[in-house]
Amino acid sequence: MANQSFTKSVLKKTTIGIIIGVIVVVGAQQTHFPPVFQVMFFIYAMLGALVFILLDAPAMKRLEGIKAVAALLVFYVLLSGLYIAGASILPQYDPGVEAGKIEKVLKMRKARSQQGKAEELIARAKALNERAKTITQQLSSLGAGAQVEAVATSSGGGAASGDIVALGKEQWELQECYNCHKLFGSGGKKRGPKMDNIGNLMTPEQLREKILFPKTWKAEGFDKQYKKGKMPDKYRDLMFDEEIDALVAFLATLRDTSVDTPKPIKMK
Amino acid sequence: MVCGAAVAYAQVPDAPAVDFPYTGNRTAVWVVAQLHILFGAFILGAPIFAVVAEWLGHKNNDPKYDRLAKEVIKVTVILYSMTALTGGLFLFVLLGTYPDFSTWLIKHFFLVFAVIYPLLFILETVILYTYFYSWDSMKGSLKGRHIALGVLLNIVGTVTLFVIDGPTAFMNTPAKAAEGVSLVEFIQTATLWDKMSNFSWMPLNLHRLVGNVTFGGFIAGLIAAYMYMGSKTDEERSYYDWMGFVGNMIGVGALLLLPFMGYLLAYELCDYDASICPYMMADQLSMFFEMQGAMVGLIFLASNYYIWLSLKRIEGVEQIRMSGFVALAVLLMPAIMGVAWKMFPPPEWQSLIFLAAMVLVPGILGRVPGLRNFTVSAFTMIKIGFLMIVVADAIWMTPHGFVATQGLATHDLELPEWATELALMPAKNAAAFTLVFLTIVNYIMYNRAIKRGTIIWGKIDFASQFVLIFLAFSAIWTMGLMGTVRSLTRKYYHVYNLVPDFTPEAFTPTLAYSAWWITGITIVFYVVVSFAILVTLKPASSKAEAH
Repeated sequence: MANQSFTKSVLKKTTIGIIIGVIVVVGAQQTHFPPVFQVMFFIYAMLGALVFILLDAPAMKRLEGIKAVAALLVFYVLLSGLYIAGASILPQYDPGVEAGKIEKVLKMRKARSQQGKAEELIARAKALNERAKTITQQLSSLGAGAQVEAVATSSGGGAASGDIVALGKEQWELQECYNCHKLFGSGGKKRGPKMDNIGNLMTPEQLREKILFPKTWKAEGFDKQYKKGKMPDKYRDLMFDEEIDALVAFLATLRDTSVDTPKPIKMK
Repeated sequence: MVCGAAVAYAQVPDAPAVDFPYTGNRTAVWVVAQLHILFGAFILGAPIFAVVAEWLGHKNNDPKYDRLAKEVIKVTVILYSMTALTGGLFLFVLLGTYPDFSTWLIKHFFLVFAVIYPLLFILETVILYTYFYSWDSMKGSLKGRHIALGVLLNIVGTVTLFVIDGPTAFMNTPAKAAEGVSLVEFIQTATLWDKMSNFSWMPLNLHRLVGNVTFGGFIAGLIAAYMYMGSKTDEERSYYDWMGFVGNMIGVGALLLLPFMGYLLAYELCDYDASICPYMMADQLSMFFEMQGAMVGLIFLASNYYIWLSLKRIEGVEQIRMSGFVALAVLLMPAIMGVAWKMFPPPEWQSLIFLAAMVLVPGILGRVPGLRNFTVSAFTMIKIGFLMIVVADAIWMTPHGFVATQGLATHDLELPEWATELALMPAKNAAAFTLVFLTIVNYIMYNRAIKRGTIIWGKIDFASQFVLIFLAFSAIWTMGLMGTVRSLTRKYYHVYNLVPDFTPEAFTPTLAYSAWWITGITIVFYVVVSFAILVTLKPASSKAEAH
């Protein structure tokens, strides 16, 4: 009898949950929520139904001995599965994207570190060793009048070498300036000013000064952010001169007068 | 001969670089570090819980509290050795996998690692064992001194936590130099105190201290659940039912403060370097926080469900009623506080007026003649509360975009323009506060029910034991998740902005990968704790039943 009553209660609450879920989904559709949010709201309606089912569920019979142990183990497996599955169905960031970025950001620092220098020496030694082997092979197969072929050496990687503005744009991405500054209509969260017209408002020297010593310049209307020191002062430690020069060169090309970049104010 | 030995020594090659099998170096460090933190959290949190329980037992002359305290300390003593073991393992794995960085960090905090921390650890060992082994001899008139020993144990434990948090926090927020001074230059001449008292040190201390109390409470609940399940007599079941309730109450009580401690820690990290904020909330770690939202929501749901099950076994609970204005306050809380915090974001004080009104006005109105009769039953109040838990969870978990990073957000994955407020801090704070407020309301009702009704210990719905186990498991899992997040906010640095990590593993792992390892760590911890509980308490319980 109690079981029948509970079954009825489950059916009733599930039905109510579905009805509420459908109402919420239709409301979300009409108010332009994307499908993924509609699904989320429906899941919440069903979670609500589940909660109310549990609230009126009959008392669970006591388990003892092996039954209790088995129930516990099953419970742990279910919980583990639930948390792993829950984490896995959420959108995942691609580590490959970040790995490439990290390599570029740290490339120069690694090259100038002890480890980097040691690795470079080892790489050069290996390259020389290969060259020596190649020459030896060529000499041993030589007839009279043959010449040793030149072996091309790699000039090293990196983006568009010689194109300092492109390197500067790369620095904009690598240093994640877009997190605070809007540019070309994307990025930024009002932590910092839009940069589209900064090339008309600041000279390269001033831009460089601002990057290295953020407190030297303030954007008009950004008093709160300036007081809180929102612009990090870490770049003089993190960026090499060549990287700063490239970034400044890129910023100096930003001269879109249609975007309202606030006036920079020199601070003492 | 000496020259020969010198030449021979100079020719001994260095050992090959360590490459931890299967897991890789970074995950190996992650696993042992997290296990060490979990055991450490228990041995710091459980004594706080135990000393409070012992004091309550002494004050109220109630032997149940004393037994509770002693049993928790018994388990603590067993797990103390696991803390030391995992700590030693952590050090060896760290030295083997990241020798250069480990040596660098040890040198910068040499006094801490080589002198202060070991001395504190030895002191704590002596006090813990003295506290435990003198339990039966320091009774009666000596009880006060025994409690004082417990207090001393907790002071030493807290100081130990604060000391080791120094280098930990330093790795996230190394000391910030005065304006115009390079961080690299500053670190060379900074004192030990400069390095210890960094931006995130105190927020981390507070968050971990409160988290440890929460953790201790929930583990006490776990102990109670196991022992309840294994009890053979009504008397034992009655005791462990009560113990589960007390453990849950302490755990939930501390849990109420935790969201705000966590918020403070995140705030300080963002204040230190604004680029950490988008990394956490809009980029690589955004879905980690989505998962955290789900976990916090589930924990609040479960802890309130436990109150519901507890209420059901109180005779006379049907007569307990609450002012209907409180129910209205609960229903309106997310909307009103969301608007208030939008208009006056913290730390602006004006939002406190709204908060005070939401908290005080319902109680005042409920006493006004004529309005006094507007009441709801305890069960109705709790059901309204559960409805609002689901709503608050939904608000808490609504992201700005269902994407792993803001850069990939498109219209069909983002909130519509008019609803973007749902993803902002005022809405999240309002949701968090709703969860906290109605949990407090439920506990007030529960206390009212105990005073006016008759509680039947040992007759609680058996499902409640699974709720206690769920709470402990979920709390441990959430700690693992948050530990992962804290480590990852260093990005590709060992010490943020100071010591880069040049190894190939210096990237943010996926949430799915992290979830597997967090679950594995949780299970390992659970197995060890379960073993400790059963080995220490089951034989004692069986003896008591036999007598």
